[in-house]
Amino acid sequence: MAMGVAIQRVETWGHANMRKPRFAPWRAEFRSAGQALLWLLGLLLIAGMYLAVNAKVARSGREVLILEEERAELQRENAQLTTALAEQTSVERMISRAVGLGFRPATPRDVQYIRVPGLDPKPDFVAPRPPSSRMGAGSGLLPAFRETLVDWFVNWLESGDGR
Amino acid sequence: MNHGRATRKRVGVVLVGMGLAASGLLYQLIRVQFGPYAPIFAAQTGSTLIVQKVAPTRGLVFDRGGELLATNATLYYVEVEVAQLTEQSQQAIASVLAELTGLPHADLQDQLNRDWIEEQGLYRIRLTKKLEQGRTFPITIDRMGAEVLQAFLDDPSAPDLSGLALVPTSERVYPSGKVAGHVLGFVNREGEGFFGVEGYYDDWLAGKPITVERGLIPPEARLQPDAPAGVNLVLTIDLEIQQMVESELEKAIERSGAEGGQVIVMDPRNGEILAMAAWPALDPNQYDEWLGDDGGDEPIITPAVGGQFEPGSTFKVLTMASALDMGAVAPEEEFIDTGEIEVGGHLIRNWNAEAWGPQSMIGCLQHSLNVCLAYVASEKLGAASFYSYLNEFGIGQPTGIDLASEVSGQLRTPRHPLWTEADLGTNAFGQGVSVTPVQLLTAIAAVANEGVMVQPHVVREVVGPQGVYWPKAAVLGRPISQQTARSLTRMLTESLEGESSSALLEGYQIAGKTGTAQVPTDFGYDPNKTVASFVGWGPVGEPRFIVLVRLDKPSISPWGSVVAAPVFRALAERLVVLLEIPPDAIREQFALGE
Repeated sequence: MAMGVAIQRVETWGHANMRKPRFAPWRAEFRSAGQALLWLLGLLLIAGMYLAVNAKVARSGREVLILEEERAELQRENAQLTTALAEQTSVERMISRAVGLGFRPATPRDVQYIRVPGLDPKPDFVAPRPPSSRMGAGSGLLPAFRETLVDWFVNWLESGDGR
Repeated sequence: MNHGRATRKRVGVVLVGMGLAASGLLYQLIRVQFGPYAPIFAAQTGSTLIVQKVAPTRGLVFDRGGELLATNATLYYVEVEVAQLTEQSQQAIASVLAELTGLPHADLQDQLNRDWIEEQGLYRIRLTKKLEQGRTFPITIDRMGAEVLQAFLDDPSAPDLSGLALVPTSERVYPSGKVAGHVLGFVNREGEGFFGVEGYYDDWLAGKPITVERGLIPPEARLQPDAPAGVNLVLTIDLEIQQMVESELEKAIERSGAEGGQVIVMDPRNGEILAMAAWPALDPNQYDEWLGDDGGDEPIITPAVGGQFEPGSTFKVLTMASALDMGAVAPEEEFIDTGEIEVGGHLIRNWNAEAWGPQSMIGCLQHSLNVCLAYVASEKLGAASFYSYLNEFGIGQPTGIDLASEVSGQLRTPRHPLWTEADLGTNAFGQGVSVTPVQLLTAIAAVANEGVMVQPHVVREVVGPQGVYWPKAAVLGRPISQQTARSLTRMLTESLEGESSSALLEGYQIAGKTGTAQVPTDFGYDPNKTVASFVGWGPVGEPRFIVLVRLDKPSISPWGSVVAAPVFRALAERLVVLLEIPPDAIREQFALGE
């Protein structure tokens, strides 16, 4: 088909009396269709890229959510185990176990005191620190992922590089 | 012509193909952008953002040895997502939940009625249970119940529970149950702390809830910030001592037939509360039982700071301390007790209505003579000095202890319009004045601590994400001199030894004073009911503990010397072991380096 077009062009323009070129109707349609296809193809490409990026963002978002849920569940499990441990080792329970084993509370007459030079007293208990607050949203990400082009431009101007 | 038609046909095919591809892409884009429920959510809320309030984990509470006193467990709210609910799952959810929670099946079935839910335009509902007076409260199930439901949800052959969702929430748990319940207070279902440490440090323990927004269209991929967590607290309470004190108090209540009672153990040197027990005991896990209607004679939560009483003879320690410090009397000074004295037109008699004849000030304390102390206050001290000293001792003012709901007690001074001179006489022996147990203990601890009055406190250590903070012991004042404190301590030791008090402990010198106070009513004092008490400390010279014992309305005997003093002895006997305090003779040997 391409060859046919080329030959016609040669015939038309190669004539001594120059005439206005005339195209077959199917050829005009073909051209319009080609242009439309080209636009559509471009659109599809852009949409495809947008979709790919969005799908990745959505997947990452979901993964973040799942990880956050997992972390929360692990923290809940930890708290549950800590509570269970505290209940199992509560003073009342330990005393009843000791009494069950035949022990009784010591009286002052049962206790003997001796001097131990250099013996350090038991250090004070220090409670564990509560978890520190995780950084705010967006921190740790490259600026390119957080700012718009306008933001970038404004920052660039403000930083003085744009003088 | 044929050629053109064929070409058009081919172009058409390509266009259709690309159009299909574009449609597919568009469909996928919409799916990815909006997700399955986002449009419903957005339509209902009018927003494409999920706004969530994130409450941080409430801080933990430990005793001074690291035993956990308050922690957090997980409960689950039961929710239903309407879009996933089917006729079958509606039935199954109601049946399984009725079995699991014991709630009426019909009630659950009503809530799951899909027509009703859709009429309301809801896409998710939280199931509730009915309480008294028509109130409702969300159904909660514990972790074990949640595991059962999750197993059902995961098992294809189990009953169809489509639409059921479990939403975790935090619940405060006190692993030691009733032990130290009055010190801790409690946290309600909304996560707010009340009474005790939970009430006083509520803002610190709770942390700061934050609001986070998450984009729904499209789903956002970013880490949300955590809410700043609440601090962890280490109390001055020693759980072993606390448990022992509660056990002894319970025994004393049973033995004496008292209606209630309190014991506080404090280190007089630094104001650290080592134990604080009250009967009836409060289990913060079951705090509902304590939330009755207001009014009536309901037990008070943390009565050591919230329950005021007329102290009776234990208050004589403060009257004598004031008189000695002012130089108005000397320990050996003689007083002739005639058995009665008139102050401001009010006739004051001794506890046994008898005359005790010549007595030294030590004798006045030993026999707890009301007449003698009324004489000291009215004739030797005078109203201005007496009330000035009481003010220095912090009577009528809150101590500032770090426990919620502290009250200040009641003291009428000469500036009060209802004060009469008779008040001076009765206040001298602890009548007509109200104090809280912790207020009385703090004031008398100044005598034990060589005249220095230290603020009582229950928190030893505050641990936040940024570091550890140790609150320092605050000195509230020096109401009396060191010399007065030593002199009065000796007098109280001698008076205990003189009467062979049942508070005495072999091998240790103890100082203290009994108290027996009549109970005021709307029609005067109840002739049959008393508050029996004892305040004592030891070892004298190097005090490591000061103890207040209070028993309300004991039935076997009204006297503090009979019902409260033996409780002090039992406590002191265990305290010297638990605090590793050697007997006086051994301490002296150690001091001499032998």
